[in-house]
Amino acid sequence: MVPKVHDEHRVDHGASANPAVTPAYWVSYPRFLLRAARLATDGSFAFYAWMTLLSAVFLVGANAWAHQVAHGMITTHLTDHVSWGLYIANFTFAVGVAAGGVMMVIPAYLYKDHAMHGVVILGELLAVAAIVVCLAFVTVDIGRPDRIWHMLPFIGRFHFPMSMLTWDVLVLNGYLLLNLHICGYLLYTRFLGRTPNPKWYVPFVMISIVWAISIHTVTAFLYCGLGGRPFWNSALLAPRFLASAFVSGPAFLILTLAVLRRFGLSVPDQPVATLVKIVRVTILVNLLMLGSELFTEFYAGGSHTASARYLFVGLDGHTELVPWIWTAIAANVVAAVLFLVPALSSSRFVLVGCVLAFAATWIEKGMGLVVPGFIPSTLHEIVVYAPSVTEWKVTAGIWAFGLMVYTVALKVALPILSGAERVQTDAERSLAAD
Amino acid sequence: MILRAVILLGVGVAIAWTTAGLTQSGSEPKPGPAPRAAGQVGAAATGMAGTTTINAPRAMPRVRVSVPRSASGEVEVDASCTTCHATRTPNATTASGAELDEFHGGMMFAHGNNRCLACHDATDYDAFHLADGARVEMADVMTLCAQCHAAKVEEFAHGAHGGMNGFWDLSRGSRTRNHCLDCHDPHAPAFPRMVPTFKPKDRFLTRKGEHAEDSR
Amino acid sequence: MSSEPDEREGSSRRTVMKAAGATLGLAAFAKAVQPLTEFTDTLTREQFLQKHYKELDADEKQAVLARLEAEAKATHGVDVTIADPPPIEGVKFAFAINLSLCNGNGKCVEACHRENNHDRATNQSYIRVLELERGSLDLGSADSSYDHAVPAPGKAYLPVQCQQCDAPPCTDVCPVEATWKEKDGIVVVDYDWCIGCRYCEAACPYHARRFNWTKPEIPAAEINPNQSYLSNRIRPQGVVEKCTFCLHRTREGRLPACLEACPTGARVFGDMNDERSEIRWILANKRVFVLKEELGTKPSFFYFFDR
Repeated sequence: MVPKVHDEHRVDHGASANPAVTPAYWVSYPRFLLRAARLATDGSFAFYAWMTLLSAVFLVGANAWAHQVAHGMITTHLTDHVSWGLYIANFTFAVGVAAGGVMMVIPAYLYKDHAMHGVVILGELLAVAAIVVCLAFVTVDIGRPDRIWHMLPFIGRFHFPMSMLTWDVLVLNGYLLLNLHICGYLLYTRFLGRTPNPKWYVPFVMISIVWAISIHTVTAFLYCGLGGRPFWNSALLAPRFLASAFVSGPAFLILTLAVLRRFGLSVPDQPVATLVKIVRVTILVNLLMLGSELFTEFYAGGSHTASARYLFVGLDGHTELVPWIWTAIAANVVAAVLFLVPALSSSRFVLVGCVLAFAATWIEKGMGLVVPGFIPSTLHEIVVYAPSVTEWKVTAGIWAFGLMVYTVALKVALPILSGAERVQTDAERSLAAD
Repeated sequence: MILRAVILLGVGVAIAWTTAGLTQSGSEPKPGPAPRAAGQVGAAATGMAGTTTINAPRAMPRVRVSVPRSASGEVEVDASCTTCHATRTPNATTASGAELDEFHGGMMFAHGNNRCLACHDATDYDAFHLADGARVEMADVMTLCAQCHAAKVEEFAHGAHGGMNGFWDLSRGSRTRNHCLDCHDPHAPAFPRMVPTFKPKDRFLTRKGEHAEDSR
Repeated sequence: MSSEPDEREGSSRRTVMKAAGATLGLAAFAKAVQPLTEFTDTLTREQFLQKHYKELDADEKQAVLARLEAEAKATHGVDVTIADPPPIEGVKFAFAINLSLCNGNGKCVEACHRENNHDRATNQSYIRVLELERGSLDLGSADSSYDHAVPAPGKAYLPVQCQQCDAPPCTDVCPVEATWKEKDGIVVVDYDWCIGCRYCEAACPYHARRFNWTKPEIPAAEINPNQSYLSNRIRPQGVVEKCTFCLHRTREGRLPACLEACPTGARVFGDMNDERSEIRWILANKRVFVLKEELGTKPSFFYFFDR
């Protein structure tokens, strides 16, 4: 594997003493892609085993989705009462992970934390993978995937700016493109052995910071713009989305860095420390907002709090989500303690805290957010929802696909970033050919 | 529970005439179907193409009764109300079928504190009379109802009571209206209870709590 | 890492392995998504490329209607007429229900089911009748699954269907403009344009929208052949549908099916722009209310009690 993750600004110019002899772009770019493809497919036994496992899960999901399209969404346990479920729950959570990836970018570029620069691309690649997951979850949730072209601007009928969903399409795809550009540019210049020109990526990084906030704000607006759903119709929703995203994103990155370290990569300590600092704040902000929501819902009471009652204490004998949400709250509180109590600041406790915080956010902002919005229904009927086997299969398949994307992205990016993989000059090529 | 709450469904049936019942002993005459006349309203006045037809009764129902004949046993004849009532002395105080020992004994009466002769005309049992004594034919019986239920008649006149079929736009077609007696038994006018026969079948829908069952 | 010259032999073996792996993976993927062909086999080019309702010119619309009739014949073996009646100039529809008369018998629910060619297995209908505690409009105690004799003591009944809002939240949220409000006030869905995201279903405060979770099944003998493009034609799988005030009837001047079926005469329908209409008399003479007025949806559907 790759010996070391370098800081991109500490470029080893010895690798290509004279940039003038590097080939032209039309030669070097295909070579870059070819090398990326090779890096993506070469690896240890563990790598192949991991990818095979993910492929298998992905195929199970693809098969379940194909059945769903053929036989209709009756294969899910969604109903006219609970018309969104596991798919949209995971979509919402994945948007948070994508937005959370940017929490590495903010210290690196806004606060000029140079130690973060070397690992910032991990956050951006996480964003790419998470957006792919988001788009996949939206696709499997629609009843007519054959008509997805109706959503294309100019070709279909893009109901912009009225529909928040069109905003979401724009911001998610925009965020995907931004991050693909930033990662692609950094990797390509590094492959060429050049120092990246800040003109070509720093403005995009700055835009991506604002954009990351926008993707989660717009996703929150999907829900809080619905006046007929009091559980979602709250101004706190978007800020709360961001707070929890800035827990789950960095938590996932801390875990990623720990895994990379385990695979022998030298990961500097400072970025991890910075991420831990971020989570210490955001996890508290998230808990504060939770408390604020609970107070507002339960002190005043009334029929508008029926959904909150269903989620937190049960409604009319229905308590399906109650154990889940209290598990999430407990996990969040424990994670906060692990992050905040100095005696527990060893890396092992922090990793446990990350797992807990990530899982808690998945529950709270997935099923804990989407399902109670529909229970009770707008006519206050109670139709319960538990995902079907098809839904679980498709969901697992999409997450497996997302992990494949992230694994491959890291597999390609890390060696190139470290300078271990770079373009050969013509002289080097002829030497190698002998 | 359901059996005990025997309920009539649907409209267009002259409930009044079918619920009276006939005992085998012949003490209660079985009414025949009420002859209906098409009463037309409004078309000529508004100059519209469509007409409003009210499903009004034309005349008092005839009652099929068995008349004993000495030689050939019994024959059945359709008799008018007067056939029997002409030979009997009217009793102005009778207010319920329960007070009668020969005919109409099984009749259910639940229409305020009225006596039979509040509506039925003692001098001609094939017609009715208003409070001021004016005679009302069966075909105009809505006038009789209107005497007490003016508000309902006004609603009916504005299409807000009694329902309708056909066209909302009378310039494009006609409509038919129910008559009071289509839905209300004049002797017990409360709308009958019904049993809903068509319910949505929602996956995973759960009933809320317990429901107050009808009294048994 | 693997590109050193002395590893070339191993590298080429690895390339073969990769190619084999990729082939196997692709084959497995093709097998996994093979059920998709069940869906794509039934999807014609014309269906796939059909334009939005509002973009069809007169000829194209006629072609689409003829094709839909032919498809109904092929699929269900029934001769149906699929018309596309336009809104009547100057007419704005509204509905009112007298809750003092409604006894919750559900005849409207069934009439809607039959008139609008709903799926038989689910008893689908655009109308839901709620049983409430008498003297309260608290939907918290509402229940639609009652099956006892009605009216039950101490209960009142509230039929709910599309309120044909003047400020409809459902049409705003649609990402592809597959649903919109027509000039006569009716909110319609282009079933051939809807992508089935169900955002409108989440946005509607009245539970008025339904999704076709599977292909609706109706015995040929029970299919109502008098159909229209925007209302009761048999819907495709995977799209959203809703009450259209029976526009295939009402735009021809006829009354909606639910009104005709109501045995208590609780329903009143008519043209808001005609001051002599029945609905205008109700608005002028009864103290009407709308559901969830605080949401600002401006329903064209009114309720009142008269005692």
